[in-house]
Amino acid sequence: MQRALRFGLLVVAGYALACGPHDATTRLTFSGSALGPEGDVVRRQLARFTEQRQGVRVELQVTPDSADQRHQLYVQWLNAHAPAPDVLQLDVIWISEFAAAGWILPLDAFDPGVDDFLPAALAAARWKGALYAMPWFVDVGLLYWRTDLLDRAPRSLAELRQMAIRLRDADATRFGLVWTGARYEGLITVFLEHLAAFGAGILDARGRVIVDDPAAIRALAFMANAVNVDRVVPSSALTWQEEQVRFAFQNGDAAFMRNWPYAWTLLQDESRSRVARRFAVAPFPAGDGGQPAAALGGAQLAINARSAHPALAFELMAFLTAPEQMIERGRLAAQLPPRRSLYETSELAAALPIPLDQVRQVLEAAVPRPATPVYSELSEILQVRIHRALTGQQPPAAALHEAGREMRALLTRAGLSSEGPTQ
Amino acid sequence: MTARPAAIVLAVAGALLLAALLFPIYWMVVASLMPESRLFESRSLLPTAVTFEHYRALFDERDFLVPIRNSLIVSGLTTIVAVPVAALCAYSLARLRMRGKSLLLAFVLAVSMFPQISIVPPLYLILRELRLLNTYPGLVLPYLTFSMPLAIWLLTGFFRQLPRDLEEAAMLDGATRMRTLRDVVLPLAAPGVASTAILTFLYCWNEFLFALSFTLGPDRYTVPVAIMLFRGRYQVPWGEVLAATVLATIPVALLVLACQRRIVAGLTVGATKG
Amino acid sequence: MNHRAAPVERAETRLAWLLVAPALAVILLVSLVPIVVTAWEALHLHDLRLPWLGRPFIGAGNFVEAASDPRFGAALFHTVAFALISVPLELMLGLALAVMMHSVVQGRAFIRVSALLPWAIPTVVAALLWRFMFESQTGILASSFQTFGLVGPAFDWFVDPIAAWVPIIAADVWKTTPFVAILLLAGLQTIDPALGDAARIDGASPATGFLTITLPLLTPALVVAGAFRMLDALRLFDLAYVMTGGGPGTATEPLSLYAFIALMQRLRFGYGSALSVIVFLLTFAFALVWVRALGRSLSGARS
Repeated sequence: MQRALRFGLLVVAGYALACGPHDATTRLTFSGSALGPEGDVVRRQLARFTEQRQGVRVELQVTPDSADQRHQLYVQWLNAHAPAPDVLQLDVIWISEFAAAGWILPLDAFDPGVDDFLPAALAAARWKGALYAMPWFVDVGLLYWRTDLLDRAPRSLAELRQMAIRLRDADATRFGLVWTGARYEGLITVFLEHLAAFGAGILDARGRVIVDDPAAIRALAFMANAVNVDRVVPSSALTWQEEQVRFAFQNGDAAFMRNWPYAWTLLQDESRSRVARRFAVAPFPAGDGGQPAAALGGAQLAINARSAHPALAFELMAFLTAPEQMIERGRLAAQLPPRRSLYETSELAAALPIPLDQVRQVLEAAVPRPATPVYSELSEILQVRIHRALTGQQPPAAALHEAGREMRALLTRAGLSSEGPTQ
Repeated sequence: MTARPAAIVLAVAGALLLAALLFPIYWMVVASLMPESRLFESRSLLPTAVTFEHYRALFDERDFLVPIRNSLIVSGLTTIVAVPVAALCAYSLARLRMRGKSLLLAFVLAVSMFPQISIVPPLYLILRELRLLNTYPGLVLPYLTFSMPLAIWLLTGFFRQLPRDLEEAAMLDGATRMRTLRDVVLPLAAPGVASTAILTFLYCWNEFLFALSFTLGPDRYTVPVAIMLFRGRYQVPWGEVLAATVLATIPVALLVLACQRRIVAGLTVGATKG
Repeated sequence: MNHRAAPVERAETRLAWLLVAPALAVILLVSLVPIVVTAWEALHLHDLRLPWLGRPFIGAGNFVEAASDPRFGAALFHTVAFALISVPLELMLGLALAVMMHSVVQGRAFIRVSALLPWAIPTVVAALLWRFMFESQTGILASSFQTFGLVGPAFDWFVDPIAAWVPIIAADVWKTTPFVAILLLAGLQTIDPALGDAARIDGASPATGFLTITLPLLTPALVVAGAFRMLDALRLFDLAYVMTGGGPGTATEPLSLYAFIALMQRLRFGYGSALSVIVFLLTFAFALVWVRALGRSLSGARS
């Protein structure tokens, strides 16, 4: 009997030891991308918050770099009702999914001041009218163009096409235009810009599928022609992601490139780039009946619905999205802030490598991807179909009609059909 | 002498088989000691350079001590819980009179054949409600699903093999069943109990699916899960992965070395039980 | 026949059930109840990412979906094909190993340890190890195959949908042959050596003796070993998940892995439960078939 008791105590003691000590300060966990310059900035800012705010310690919870893996990990944690991390960095396209599943907190109760933020970024942060995230930094699709070969940026899609053909035929460059044509999310961002250029879209304001409308078919036909008829876009681009596209432009092989802001600093590096100081950026031009457009990317911050310290978590979020922190991010990580007022300031102009006036133009034209909980499945359907049309396996009309059918079926199955969510 | 050629063939085949069984382990150890730069270039089967950089990295950069601790605790706790409870049950099944014994035994065997994936959904939902995900009890409970039947099965076999005379003598002397169990049977069955404990511990140490499904982060990952999740930026860090696999294998190898007779006894009793 | 048991016997039975109760309770709680719940869950639509859809009862809806799901059909095929290929291999090689272990007099301990190590190693470790050896062009086995001209220069085992199965099967056979050998060894050790001697005296060659005497007597052990291995093979998960993740694409995805992905990644608990019920039924059906075969073979061996 005695032995059993002693043994039992040992087990309990061992267990208690294994669980670790408890401390007095409140511990907040923050989870986001923590590599390279981004990681440095995050660590600095978290440390600063810890200094300024007494009694709180913020820990950085490291996640894998690949967006897909981070997404998977978040889904696992939040679905398991884990209380940590308290604050998460989310891709813009995940917010509806997480909000609809009840994994992140609505923020209106904290009365966040959102007037200063980019409308497109806010649109991505809302689900059923409520705000679920605060924009942290934005990525926008940019049209990079060669200033040594052209006098000005093309003002319409038709002009872009002409310029590209002319330069390619004159052997000034190997390719006219390069974009991310591999079968992945990057392809959708390119498609989105073409859609907007023709006045089309993927879902309309009511959440109905409009990707098989005539305007959308014209947009896809334009893309397919660019690859297969005009050949201004090389067919190899259909396997390229951001880096390969950048290399093509960087080596002087393309007159136009459609890529993200991160490429700017790398392209200016004279030791590696053949186009340093010979390029500028502009929004993707409009076609018939459309608008210039830039696909909106970037990240936003949200609060874990099971967090033990939601108010504190919101404080951290407000701190990280404050203007000072955003300017610092711009300077150290070359990431664009989503606050409109900052683009009038000289501090941001000094901090960002990209000239403000060029960027401002693009930001005005930002277009978010559809905010729906099943976005990743919708995107996959589109990716497959669009890619088939671009590789010539299917005419654009047929591809988009099939995609539309599948997307409608998916939305119905998920209870998200035409009239919006049924709840 | 027609036996000679046959014996030679057998010996050669046997040697080849043995080599095939041992070579991957040898290679694992050798490769874990190779510097990163030579890891994929070396063409020789013998180590040309030896370095401990991968092992150092495991503990300095990856804190590999944590998964090891977790595996030890979970496997240990499961064994400590499963074996005594199973022993009581097994003694009853082996020695005491009761109806439906063979049915019970068949039921236990059937349960051990359940595919693990088939019980993940409800276990996950229950553990989530009880807030036991990513905790030690949250793994011990699922581990009982396979360790309990295993232990019962093995121990029943061992108890059955024991000669009855000593027990009967003790009972004739007036001892109760429980006293007999404690003072006579258990000491006799100690090797069998040890085999069962070892096998139970081994199965828990190697378990992967439950650990993957019911833990959420590096603080509670067990060794198999931790190794699996070593993901580098662009490629798998093979040096460290191999070093980790060597470390994961060492306790297992030690157990096997020390207790190979007992392990074999456990496996065969489990299998030849009619 | 005395139908009323004596008080002593009744006390013994009571004690027996008392001793069995805790173990039985645990098993019921953590094994039986969950499997029933899974079966019940399989009859519902339960997507954890779409909580507004609730958890409606849809009867056989998930199973109907599985029947027309090409990915399910492929996973089922993969699982059964894998079992039918690897288990006979393991039985044959295990038999060879057992015979060798049986005939050796010296170094028994060394052989036993060598045989036990692959079996005792965590499956994850075996998976990573074999992945490393088959890693394209640089793993030692991959480059050996290349050197001997068996594969082309840029061949990547894990990119080819069929070739990717080779390392998986190799790892499984490597890891479980010792287990089979040990089971068969126990069987071999129960065979009366006098029978073999008699055959030899009659002039039979060792091979004939083996085929006509040893093998038939070993049949029960073979059946048991085969049964255990088949059950495990049908439940394949660890090796596939760790070595290839089911890839390239879904070419090496067994049923358990598809169920896991549906459950833990897509969070479709209803559909994933249906898939795991199917895995359970598959193993259960197989167990029934084998038990009958075992029964038949045992009665045959006795005659």
